[in-house]
Amino acid sequence: MPFRLTLLEQSSLGFYSSEICKALTSSATMVAAKKTKKTTESINSRLALVVKSGKYTLGYKTVLKTLRSSKGKLVLISNNCPPLRKSEIEYYAMLSKVVVHHYNGNNIDLGTACGKYYRVSCLSIIDQGDSEIIKSLSGEH
Amino acid sequence: MVKFLKPNKAVIVLQGRYAGRKAVIIRAFDDGTRDRPYGHCLVAGISKYPRKVIRKDSAKKQAKKSRVKCFIKLVNYTHIMPTRYTLDVDLKDVVTLDSLQSRDKKVTAAKETKARFEERFKTGKNRWFFTKLRF
Repeated sequence: MPFRLTLLEQSSLGFYSSEICKALTSSATMVAAKKTKKTTESINSRLALVVKSGKYTLGYKTVLKTLRSSKGKLVLISNNCPPLRKSEIEYYAMLSKVVVHHYNGNNIDLGTACGKYYRVSCLSIIDQGDSEIIKSLSGEH
Repeated sequence: MVKFLKPNKAVIVLQGRYAGRKAVIIRAFDDGTRDRPYGHCLVAGISKYPRKVIRKDSAKKQAKKSRVKCFIKLVNYTHIMPTRYTLDVDLKDVVTLDSLQSRDKKVTAAKETKARFEERFKTGKNRWFFTKLRF
């Protein structure tokens, strides 16, 4: 709501408002960055639980196999997966009505999240075990 | 979680002599057979697409251009790209596993599918299936 400021107050406010603006935006981006970091951490922990207790397959060929046989329930794709391969997996998932999650990280990160020492570009979860990764990721979508 | 490699699904063959051709699944063998221990399906496809007919073509020329050459094949699932399209022509009685056993049985089955494909093409339905995939 507008309120009258004296000329002096306006000039001083002008000096401080830019600083305030900068501080506000930086904290906002930090809040946004923190939020994505938090959700990635939760996805990583859920993935670790699936690897420990559930059934999954890693790699493009087996992902397509599980989609064809309608065994896959969730598909994760890394962000540096080649775009043609990514759209092929998404098309198969569209046909079989399976949720695809674009993992916020590249294939090295996805491999590390699965606890493997190799790169994983795409993976398919067949049985989630004790985690509730499917509900949490399909709730997002 | 929905099975989509079902009969009447239109697919594109990716490998082999018929790579790039459109086909329709007649029968799917998800778990394979003794001879083919992998998922495969029996498809009937178009090996020669009907050509584009223009207004000044005579009736004889139109008939010649609207011909379709078909093929029948058992293909591995990995050599197929499924699409969202379907083609409901009833070919279950014509195209069987038995018709692939000998050359003349195959030829008669192919002739029958050619007739059914041509009559479907002439109705103007399923236009996507009868257009060549450009790549």
